[in-house]
Amino acid sequence: MGKHKTPMLDELEKGPWPSFVSDIKQQAEKGKQVLKEAPDDLLGVLELSFEDRVTHWKHGGIVGVFGYGGGIIGRYCDQPQKFPGVAHFHTVRVNQPASKFYTTKFLRSMCDLWESHGSGLTNMHGSTGDLVLLGTTTDHLEPLFFDMTHEMNQDLGGSGSNLRTPACCLGRARCQFACYDTQEACYQMTMEYQDELHRPAFPYKFKFKFDGCPNGCVASIARSDMSVIGLWRDNIRIDQAAVKAYVGGELKPNAGAHASRDWGKFDINKEVINLCPTGCMAWDGSKLDINDKECVKCMHCLNTMPRALRIGVDTGAAVLFGAKAPILEGAQMSTLTVPFMKVEAPFEELKELIEKVWDWWMEEGKNRERLGELIQRKSWQEFLRVIEKDPDPRMVDEPRSNPYIFWKEEEVEGGWTRDINAYREKHPR
Amino acid sequence: MPYDPSDPLKDRITDIGPRYYKEFVPPVIEKNYGKWLYHDILEPGVLVHVSETGDEVYTVRVGGCRLMSVEHIREICDIADKHCGGYVRFTTRNNIEFMVDGKDKLKPLVDDLKSRKFPAGSNKFPIGGTGAGVTNIVHTQGWAHCHTPAIDASGVVKAVMDGVYDDFGSMRLPAPVRISLACCLNMCGAVHCSDIAILGIHRKPPMIDSEWIDKLCELPLAIAACPTAAIKPAKTASGLKALEVNADRCMFCGNCYTMCAAMPLADDVGSGVAILVGGKLSNRMSKPKFSKVVIPFIPNEPPRWPTTVEAVKNILDVYAKDAKKYERLGDWAARIGWERFFEKTNLPFSHHLIDDYRFAYTTWRQSTQAKF
Amino acid sequence: MTDEEIKKLIVEALESKSKTKSKFYLKDFYAMVPDKKPREVKNLVNKMVQEGTLEYWSSGSTTLIGLKGMGKQHQEED
Repeated sequence: MGKHKTPMLDELEKGPWPSFVSDIKQQAEKGKQVLKEAPDDLLGVLELSFEDRVTHWKHGGIVGVFGYGGGIIGRYCDQPQKFPGVAHFHTVRVNQPASKFYTTKFLRSMCDLWESHGSGLTNMHGSTGDLVLLGTTTDHLEPLFFDMTHEMNQDLGGSGSNLRTPACCLGRARCQFACYDTQEACYQMTMEYQDELHRPAFPYKFKFKFDGCPNGCVASIARSDMSVIGLWRDNIRIDQAAVKAYVGGELKPNAGAHASRDWGKFDINKEVINLCPTGCMAWDGSKLDINDKECVKCMHCLNTMPRALRIGVDTGAAVLFGAKAPILEGAQMSTLTVPFMKVEAPFEELKELIEKVWDWWMEEGKNRERLGELIQRKSWQEFLRVIEKDPDPRMVDEPRSNPYIFWKEEEVEGGWTRDINAYREKHPR
Repeated sequence: MPYDPSDPLKDRITDIGPRYYKEFVPPVIEKNYGKWLYHDILEPGVLVHVSETGDEVYTVRVGGCRLMSVEHIREICDIADKHCGGYVRFTTRNNIEFMVDGKDKLKPLVDDLKSRKFPAGSNKFPIGGTGAGVTNIVHTQGWAHCHTPAIDASGVVKAVMDGVYDDFGSMRLPAPVRISLACCLNMCGAVHCSDIAILGIHRKPPMIDSEWIDKLCELPLAIAACPTAAIKPAKTASGLKALEVNADRCMFCGNCYTMCAAMPLADDVGSGVAILVGGKLSNRMSKPKFSKVVIPFIPNEPPRWPTTVEAVKNILDVYAKDAKKYERLGDWAARIGWERFFEKTNLPFSHHLIDDYRFAYTTWRQSTQAKF
Repeated sequence: MTDEEIKKLIVEALESKSKTKSKFYLKDFYAMVPDKKPREVKNLVNKMVQEGTLEYWSSGSTTLIGLKGMGKQHQEED
């Protein structure tokens, strides 16, 4: 029996999906967390929110570890007398390892560290990617940071107007589609910009994310100011024997992803050739032909016949800018900016590009204006001038339909200064 | 040397970043890094990846709760130590992946995972989340930790995942379905490109604690926090400095409450759930898409949010029956037309669903193409 | 201007406004030192935090900066 009665939360112990309520209860019973009452009081305050149907948390902003502007989020309970264990309940963002592989040794020492400095509760992981330690008091922050850096060789993540903790997909660690080394890129870029990650540098948040291919498992196109998405430029590699094996039914299409329902026999025309968005594929009954020049790398055929088709060998990435959630002007996805770039250590080209973007945004961006909003306000043309890239039809879905082109004087023969008297010679008043 | 509170900056280490990922990958991953040829989903939640070296790695994907105790992490470590040589991985969508380097090691791992339950009965490690099914819901903090949520997060997610549990453990859908939850419209979990998004929204402007606001807050900061400039200075009847909110301009974001706790926003009946559908991130066949609002409001119904759960299940079931193989939810809705979507899902279409914000015109129909 | 002069200027600017407002966006600091590049001002402001003159206040999504110990939030958060 816990410290508080939680009849509503207890309803969430039922059902097959893992119950976070059962989990917090086991921490309350068995855990050795220094903030002994925290799990019980978290259940208590959550139960109160379930009764009241509103939150009982308040925001705080001063807390942090000394010299860092990011990594800690202040949090206070508005019922501290009832729930002293969570009266002060700050969040600690810990920079996760690229693509979230762990040794149990590391995880266990993180568990021990967190029990000696906090609530014993975590988020595995937060939305941005950090390993989140959920709930501790101000006096524990410095010792926690000291022990984390000294004993675990591990640093905090970003928050506020900082570079946010970069994240990447699984990449080459276990995926055949990775067009560049997403983990290495993520790690190197994180290390290069430690100052921007820990100390506020910008008008608002800035996110990098690294997807290895256009399937986009880390959602970079939707939620990162700079999205790096793997691509190839040459030809899809075809194993014709394996294509035949898919057609013949020896291989399961789509790597077995539709196996729980009978969709009938695999039909390569219906399921691949006719679904190709550019119609660049043909099957003559014995040979698959791809007109690679017309391919837009949508991944459908590769996803559907992974044992027959492989990405090309001239691989790299597209770089897109400007994605953000709806606050404020409305949601935006990233816009294709560099259609193809080689992305290889030490990633100098990527660094040069991002630093130009940052200099411009730091100078021109309004308070709390995301990069995507600044680009909209200033124009894509202005953005291209800043990053010194030439316009490319691949940057747009279609050319503009209004003719209101803001011509520059130097673009027009003879400039804008004209002689009215010469005009009057031909056109008397 | 341990931390010395009298000299907090002594031997300080900063700016060291995360640990290098290669310290944390199992040997079979290290050896075959960048050499993978293809993968197969052997059964829901169980994958094999095959390398050009001939090596294979078998992965068992299980659902996890984002909100997790260290006790539970230790249990994950116990399993990883017993079966996986001391390595484990988490996914972007709060799943946990256990990997073994031989097929013979798979069954003991699967049996072990299936055997573990919480005392009250829920599964600790449900296997699934692959292929054309529903995978785990990514979400935000909700009432467990956030100061501006309109809804809870973990509780709603638990209730919805119980409701769609069979689709986590199977692959009967036309295409993958990604469900996401953000507990307010600031979307610290970006849900705007999800097949189904559960979004917390507020519908009442903030209250002003007028007698206290000047003592608790810096008024210029609260004014500046408002993205629509709806807050302006005011005086109370007794002459105290305070603020007032132009209610018609309020977009219910809670940014003012972040700066000033004397402007509470959340409300037991004003705040609740909106449902958005049809977003996607991948470039597969069609371009990435935003999610669209199809249910403007569902009240908060703790502890199990039955109306929200039913709404998600209804959309999922209609989609599963009607869509073509490979068609994502948003591609299906676009093909049949949104008028058909509302008809088939039996959802009412109200004026709330027609955009009247910044890019509104881009979503209105300039065509006679319509279905009857 | 030397760094020390700029620091003094920043402190004076903040003090003159401290009656109504104790926290500022980074951008506000650029305006206090218009002839320096934003990046240089940013580095200097972050240095002043290291030195204990200024402190950060984070809303989680955005960061504000002010003179250490100033502002009404302090009473509540301490």
